[in-house]
Amino acid sequence: MKIVLSWLRELCSVDLSAEALGELLSAKGMHTESIERPWEGLEGVVIARVLEVADHPDSDRLCLVRVDVAGTERHVVAGVRNMRPGDLVAYAGPGSRVPALAEPLGVRTLRGERSEGMICSARELALSGDHSGILVLPVDAAVGADVKTTFGLDDAVLDLEIEANRPDELSMIGVAREVSAATGVPWTKPEAGVAEGSEPAEAAASVSVLDPDRCPRFVARVVVDVTTRPSPIRVQARLTAAGMRPVSSVVDATNYAMLELGQPMHPYDLARLAGRGVIVRRAVQGERLVTLDDVERTLSAEDLVIADADRAVGIAGVMGSAASEVSASTREVLLESAFFAPRFVMRTSRHLLLQTEASTRFSRGADPELPGTAASRAARLMVEWGSGTVLRGEIEVGAAPARRRLALRPARASLLLGYPVGERDAVEALGSLEIPAEPSAGGELSVDVPSHRPDLELEADLIEEIVRAQGYERMPSSLPSTRRAGGMVAAFADRARIREALVRAGLREALSLSFASLADLELMGAAGAVRVANPPAADEPFLRTSLIPNLLKALARNLARGRGGAALFEVGHVFRLHPTGGEPPAEEREAVAGAMTGPAGEGLHAPDRDLDFLDVKGVIESLLASFGVASWGLGDPPGPPFHPGRSAVVMIATRPAGVVGELHPRAAGAFGLPGRVAVFEFDASALAAARPAIATYREIPRFPPVRRDLAFVVPAPTPAGEVRDAILQQGGELLDTVLLFDAFEGEPIPAGRKNLAFSLELRSPERTLTDAEADATVRSIVEHVERTLGAELRSG
Amino acid sequence: MADPAIDEMLRVLEQERARGLELIGAASSHEELERAEVAVLGRKSPLASVQRGLGALADENRRRVGQRTNEVRETLRSAVAERRSTLDRSADDRLLEADALDVTLSGRRPRPGSLHPLTIVQREIADIFMRLGYQVLDGPEVEDEWHNFDALNIPQDHPARTMMDTTFVDVPGHPELLLRTHTSPMQIRTMQAGPPPIYVVVPGRVYRNEQITAKNMPVFHQVEGLAIDEGISFADLKGTLEAFYRELLGPERQIRLTPSFFPFVEPGAQVEVSCFVCGGGGCRTCGFTGWIETMGAGMVHPRVLEAVGYDAERWTGFAFGGGYDRLAMIRFGIPDIRILWENDIRFLEQFEASG
Repeated sequence: MKIVLSWLRELCSVDLSAEALGELLSAKGMHTESIERPWEGLEGVVIARVLEVADHPDSDRLCLVRVDVAGTERHVVAGVRNMRPGDLVAYAGPGSRVPALAEPLGVRTLRGERSEGMICSARELALSGDHSGILVLPVDAAVGADVKTTFGLDDAVLDLEIEANRPDELSMIGVAREVSAATGVPWTKPEAGVAEGSEPAEAAASVSVLDPDRCPRFVARVVVDVTTRPSPIRVQARLTAAGMRPVSSVVDATNYAMLELGQPMHPYDLARLAGRGVIVRRAVQGERLVTLDDVERTLSAEDLVIADADRAVGIAGVMGSAASEVSASTREVLLESAFFAPRFVMRTSRHLLLQTEASTRFSRGADPELPGTAASRAARLMVEWGSGTVLRGEIEVGAAPARRRLALRPARASLLLGYPVGERDAVEALGSLEIPAEPSAGGELSVDVPSHRPDLELEADLIEEIVRAQGYERMPSSLPSTRRAGGMVAAFADRARIREALVRAGLREALSLSFASLADLELMGAAGAVRVANPPAADEPFLRTSLIPNLLKALARNLARGRGGAALFEVGHVFRLHPTGGEPPAEEREAVAGAMTGPAGEGLHAPDRDLDFLDVKGVIESLLASFGVASWGLGDPPGPPFHPGRSAVVMIATRPAGVVGELHPRAAGAFGLPGRVAVFEFDASALAAARPAIATYREIPRFPPVRRDLAFVVPAPTPAGEVRDAILQQGGELLDTVLLFDAFEGEPIPAGRKNLAFSLELRSPERTLTDAEADATVRSIVEHVERTLGAELRSG
Repeated sequence: MADPAIDEMLRVLEQERARGLELIGAASSHEELERAEVAVLGRKSPLASVQRGLGALADENRRRVGQRTNEVRETLRSAVAERRSTLDRSADDRLLEADALDVTLSGRRPRPGSLHPLTIVQREIADIFMRLGYQVLDGPEVEDEWHNFDALNIPQDHPARTMMDTTFVDVPGHPELLLRTHTSPMQIRTMQAGPPPIYVVVPGRVYRNEQITAKNMPVFHQVEGLAIDEGISFADLKGTLEAFYRELLGPERQIRLTPSFFPFVEPGAQVEVSCFVCGGGGCRTCGFTGWIETMGAGMVHPRVLEAVGYDAERWTGFAFGGGYDRLAMIRFGIPDIRILWENDIRFLEQFEASG
């Protein structure tokens, strides 16, 4: 809502600067978005009288104008010639400024003729959008006087953000009421008294309401012998500054009164209404209507229209039609000032995608007691700015609903606000906002909710009004007593643990949107993907089922930007349809994934190799260790998109919990990643579930170990893990640790075989082992490994 | 009573002391020191001869010369020991000198990891509320209309429910499913899960169907807070937010509540914090107002309490919710929200020290 400061001051003569007023209104919930001064660039423009308009000797279009500026004659060249000798115009002489031009005016020569400044159009003065001709000023203006002061163009305009539940603040009086409450400066309503003719309005026109639910109240005024004129300069300026387009005295009067009072109104050319009246009825399904914006609208039976005897002439509460529009030739006006039920206007406005000043106000809830006053005010202005006779009385159908009464307990206000609110405090605070409250039984206040406050439905709403009137800034601060230690749910703590482990393992946390393309889904398995009805990006119409595709894209982006070596992880939700259609229909799991590619390091100490499977395996080893997961292992390769020989399903306690591996080179290549790409992904809950509840102390060994190194030559396909497991299995209690310290194929090992060297520590918790005891165990291990795995001991 | 033999013995002792110290001090290697030691302390040394001659002396003289002999021997022995350790040290020094390293070479560092700046901010927020006695919760991102709107007193016709803002999920038979537009449905879920007292905060992702720009992403992060108990007041809300922001942004921060409308709170407030870039004087970040809008907040609406079956007379509560992407951007001076989602290593590595 744009508030023209001088207009507001007419209603409430508050002596505050625009900035101070902006602060004040913000503190009351009308947040000041901006303060504009549309005429800041208007300086030194004065009123002049046209003496002569003559042809330009060298141009058909241009003309030469002589003007008198309080005794001084000036010559200007103009592009239009709608002004005549004797007319008053706005003259911008050399050195003056107009809002439309960045530079001050000067003396120019146009086709050989000297032009000292210019005479202005309305648009050049930022008075309206009209640039069709020179603005001709009212005859009573004083020649030589400053345009800015004469027409009040030194105004500021506050752009207020009005909350959706406060339709009353979409009006000058609503804002004036708030300013008055905040400052104590009284405010006055605009003059709505109107001189009436003798003929009754009811004899001149008819109103019939067929749907009183959607239109509980309809008030009409009739004005006859109408002449339309341009509205006064000041009115045009205010309408323009408030964001509306000045049209003519008739239209401007209804718009001006709407901005003042918040009641949308519509003027019809009565002579063009078939049957000389209006009918408020539902539209016929499929009924068409060309609205004032020249768009043909197709209506449904749920929409309410204003119709004449033949056809719809307007969409109720939204917009009129061209058919009954007032024009310069209009002589009789039927002025509609109604109360339409908010819900229905909102629906119509939404389904037609047509939001107007009227529909905004009706959708939020206009004041049902206001239509009569507003109609009188508009009729009065119509006559004042143009001319005409207002017929006697109103045509009224329906009535305003009864006001709501609410009970307010000051004790409840004290409890909810956290500071004492007495009965008198409450009455005073509400009273300042013109909400009458009086004591009733049981220490309660009985509150009479004004018709312009549809937002006040409950006691809590009144309590907000109390603290708002008293000032939010005056509220004290306190802290509740939570009586309990804070903490986090396990899922949150687990996530923090995962992040810490991965950061320690040298990965950087990434963040990506939750959406996926078809190609993303195909990479990690499209089954059960959840589709998005209206995705923000059309090429990503699914919710992600895996975190890996977005990590791959991030790796590729970094590679493209010259950062080849990258190791990223993400923790986040992934989504799939419930496999059997149960609850919840779209399942969400917390997933953790990592992806790495490129050189294993950079600089002096960097190993001369790329990140690969064993790097990512090391990461998951650290991750699982940080969750204390002991019983895990690697199962079969998971299949596409993984490298068949460098990938595995990760098993925790014999159940699949994730995958680890290098991507198949073709899959990586499809994401623009040429080298090895190693990834993992886990279900975070599987990690957490495997975590032992409490770590228990194991005694630190007191006796020294006996160390033995064993090198086996085994068939090349035998996994090292299998050899290690065989050693552990046979080693029994005395075998403390087994560490693989060498693995190689090639000379001197025969083809098809490989060398695996393990370092063993044997130890007894009770005594120092003898060599003989250790040797017996080692022998049994060697025999077992040789027998079960076709291995032969190379050294040991 | 002078005895020339005794005098001679004492002279030899003094001579040996001086000679010995000189020899020992001049030894420049362990071998030379060995030789010097043998020469002055060995069995064939003059000192040993004096020692041997002691037996022939009368008691008084034997004591006198013997004492002196011991003194000289101890002096020489300690001189040898001292010289030996000096020689040891210089040998080490030579070895270590050869072992010197250019200490300006870069260190062998494990590959560094880092947390995302939004995680860092989220963790700070969660930590503060845990210290204030709150539980940190998590919630689903796929929600239904009832939790996201109806139960929060956002009726069917409310503009926030149109397709313009909400991202709907297309699951056959479930037209109610959507991606939560705010973290507020967790108010409802938390209250449904059990009776008060409730003190929770819920950070997480939320979704608005918006075009990607420097200021907006279709996915962003909010933190929701909810306190329900007997006697919770609007002043408690103010105090809690003051405590939170002063802990997060510095003790000199002011907060300002101004009236604002959210369907699920009454009274409702917009929460602003004095600008932590300019300190409140006005700058580009705060739009020259000195204040930064951070949250919506208010007292939980009676209809919301009733929607979950709470006795709205007995229990009162406050709720607040606000995005923290912008907070992270201001905190770290990030000019464009898209940078948060690009996962550029050169960006991510800037937060190694902040985790």
